[in-house]
Amino acid sequence: MKRRSRMSSFQLKTLLAILAFCLIVSEAMAQSQLRFVTWRSEAAGVWEQLIADFETRHPGIKVVREIGPHSSTEFHDLVTQKLRNRDPEMDVFFMDVIWPGEFAAAGWASPLDEFFSAAQQKEFLSAPIEANRYRGRIYGVPLFVDAGMLYFRKDLLAKYHVAPPRTWPELVDQAKLILAQERDPYLTGYSAQFKQYEGLICNMMEFILSNGATLWDEPALRGTLHLAAAKEAVRFVRDQIVGAISHRGVLAYQEPESLAMFTQGKAVFHRNWPYAWEIANDPARSKVAGKVGIVPLPAFSGHQSAATLGGWQLGISRFSRNTRLAWQFVDFMTSSETQKRIALYTGRAPARKALHRDPDILKKNPQFQSQYETFLRAAPRPVTPVYQPLSNIMQRYFSSAIAIPDSNIDQLAALASRDMDRVLDLLRGRGAP
Amino acid sequence: MNASHEPNLRFLLPSVVFVVVFSLYPIFESFRLSFYRLILTLPWLGQKFIGWDNYYDLATDPVALQSLLTSMTFVAVTTPVEVLLGLGMALVLNESFRGRGWLRAVVLVPWAIPTVVSSQMWRFLFNDRYGLFNFVLFGDATDRYWAPLAEPGLALMSIMVADIWKTSSFAALIILAGLQVIPRELYEAASIDGASPWQKFRHITLPLVKPALLLALLFRTIDALKVFDLVFVMTQGGPADTTNVLQFYGYKKSFAEGMIGYGSTIAVAVFLVSLLLSIAYIRLLGTRLLGKEEGA
Repeated sequence: MKRRSRMSSFQLKTLLAILAFCLIVSEAMAQSQLRFVTWRSEAAGVWEQLIADFETRHPGIKVVREIGPHSSTEFHDLVTQKLRNRDPEMDVFFMDVIWPGEFAAAGWASPLDEFFSAAQQKEFLSAPIEANRYRGRIYGVPLFVDAGMLYFRKDLLAKYHVAPPRTWPELVDQAKLILAQERDPYLTGYSAQFKQYEGLICNMMEFILSNGATLWDEPALRGTLHLAAAKEAVRFVRDQIVGAISHRGVLAYQEPESLAMFTQGKAVFHRNWPYAWEIANDPARSKVAGKVGIVPLPAFSGHQSAATLGGWQLGISRFSRNTRLAWQFVDFMTSSETQKRIALYTGRAPARKALHRDPDILKKNPQFQSQYETFLRAAPRPVTPVYQPLSNIMQRYFSSAIAIPDSNIDQLAALASRDMDRVLDLLRGRGAP
Repeated sequence: MNASHEPNLRFLLPSVVFVVVFSLYPIFESFRLSFYRLILTLPWLGQKFIGWDNYYDLATDPVALQSLLTSMTFVAVTTPVEVLLGLGMALVLNESFRGRGWLRAVVLVPWAIPTVVSSQMWRFLFNDRYGLFNFVLFGDATDRYWAPLAEPGLALMSIMVADIWKTSSFAALIILAGLQVIPRELYEAASIDGASPWQKFRHITLPLVKPALLLALLFRTIDALKVFDLVFVMTQGGPADTTNVLQFYGYKKSFAEGMIGYGSTIAVAVFLVSLLLSIAYIRLLGTRLLGKEEGA
C-alpha cells in the first residue's frame, strides 16, 4: 500500500515535470513564433532568403510562412476568415491596397502609429501611404507599389510611323490603322483586363478618371457614375475598345491572359502593372522581347492621364499576441534594404521613394525611371470600409455596360449610382472609427 | 413497448448529436441571423434586429431576383440532361461486355476530379484563342473563334456544359445501382413472351428503375441549385452578371462584403427553394411511383 503510494507520487512528479516542461516550451514557442500569411510569389526563393535573414538577425524568433492563393479576391477571403474568427495565430499579413479602410473600420488591423512615425512615412510614396490611412491613423506599411501602364509594340508603331498615343482616341486610331494593314486575324488592338472582377474596376477607373470624372464622391458619400463624363468614358470603352479594336475575348481576361496575348505578339497595345515589363522582355517567356515600349496610359483630350494605384502592404492583426515582435518583422520586411532586394529579384517597384533613384535598381530595371512620375501620380481607389460592396456594384455595372453591345448605359449608370448611394448611406452619422 | 425502444434511442444518440451540432444548429443560426442587420466592416452599427427587412430587401433586390432566375435556369437545363445522359450510360454499363469493369471506373473519372480542377480545365478549353473548343469547331479559321466565357449569351451555357460533363456520371452511378436490383427473371420471362427490347425497357426497366431516377433527379436538383465552384473559378459571376447564381451572390454578400445578415437571408432562401423543390419532387413522382407499385 505504502509502496504503491510512493510509486504513484513519483509518477505524479514525473508527470508534473513533463507537463511543466511542455508548458514552458509551448509558451516559449508561442512567444517567439510569428505567423506570416502571404500569397505564393513568383520568386519564392527571395522570400525564404529574407525570412532566413530576419531569423538570423533576431535569434529566438521563428517566422512561419502560411501561403494563400495568389488571386487578391481569394486571398481576401482567407485573411478575413482568420480575422473574423479572431485567430490569434496570424500575426502579419499581406494587404491589397484597397483593404486597409475595411480592415481598420472592422477593428481587424492594428493601428501602427506608435511604431511607424510621420517622419518614417515621409520616406514612402505618398499615394500608398494615403491608401493605408483611415480616419487619421495608419494601418499598413507599403511594400511594393503598382500602377497601370501602357505597353506597346515599338516595332509596329515604328513601322507605321506613329508615336505612342497620348489620348484614347489616338490609341484607337493607331490600332485601327495597324490592324487594317497587318491583316493578321490573331492580332488585337488593345489587350487589357475586362472580366467581371476587381481588375475591371482598375481598368475602368483609368478611363473614367482620365475623362475628369470619378467613381464616387467620397467626402459627400454620393455616387457619381451617372454623371455625363463618367458615362462618356464607359461608352467609349464599349464602342471604341471592346466593340472595335479588341476581340471580345478580353471580356473574360484577367492579367495573365491579357499579358499572354501581348507576349505572344498578338496585341498592339496592352494595359498592365509594372511586373509585366520583366516578363514581356524575357526572351524565354516572350516573343516580343526587346520590342516593348512603355508609357503612361492615355487620357481623353483636355484631361490628365490616370493610373490606378495597386500594390501590397504588410499589416498586423489586432488579435496577434506579439504585436511588438510582429512590428520588428514588418519593419525588416519594408526596410530600404529588403525593398531593394525585392526590386532587384522580382522587378516589383519599391514603395520607398529613395529606391527609385537607386543606381543598382535602375540598372536592373531601367523602366522605373520613366515610371516614377506615374507612381507619384497614381490614384488610389477611395479608402472606405464599404469598398467591397461598392466594388461589386461597379463590377456589375461596368461588365453589363461594356459586354452588351447595345446596353442602356444611362439606365445602368443611374441604377449603379443609386445602389452605391444606398451603401454609402450606411456611413452617414457614424460614431467612433 | 417502452422498454424495447429505450436501448434503440441510446444507440441513436451519437448521430442525433451529430445532426444537431453540424446540421440543425447552422441552419437555425442562419435563420436567426437573417433577421439582423450585421455588417462586419461597420462594427459600430452593431447587430440590430430588423425583423423581416432583409426578406423584404431580398424580394425587391433586382440582382437577387436575376440570380434566382439564373439558378433556376441552370437547374432546369442541367438536371434533366444529366439524368437522361446518366440513364443512357447506366444502361450501357449494365450490359455485360468485355472491359465493363474498366469502363465503369473510367466513367466516374469526371465526377472524381475535384470541381475546382475541372473548372480550371474547362476555362482553358473555352479560351477564345488557344482553347480546344474553338479549334474543334473552327480549326484554322481563327477570325471566327468564339469567346464563350466573354459573351453574356453563352457564359451560362458554358458552365452548364461543364456541369453536365462532370456530374452525368454521378447520375449514372445511382441509376446503375437501381438497374442492378432488377431481377433477370423478368427479362427472361419477357423474352419468352416475345417482347421487343423497347417493350422490355418500357415495361420492365423504366418502372423498376424509377426510384433510382427520382433519387438521381433529387440529388442533382439540390446540387445544381447550390452550384458555386464552377462559377467561382470560371466566371466570377460575369460577364454582365449572367452567371451570378444565387449561391454565388450569397457568398459574395457574406464573405467578400461582410454583410452577414443579408447573406444569411440569401442562404435561407436557397435552403427554402431546395426544400420546396424536394417536397414537390417527392409528391409528384413519389406518389405516382407508389401507386404503380401497389397496382403491381
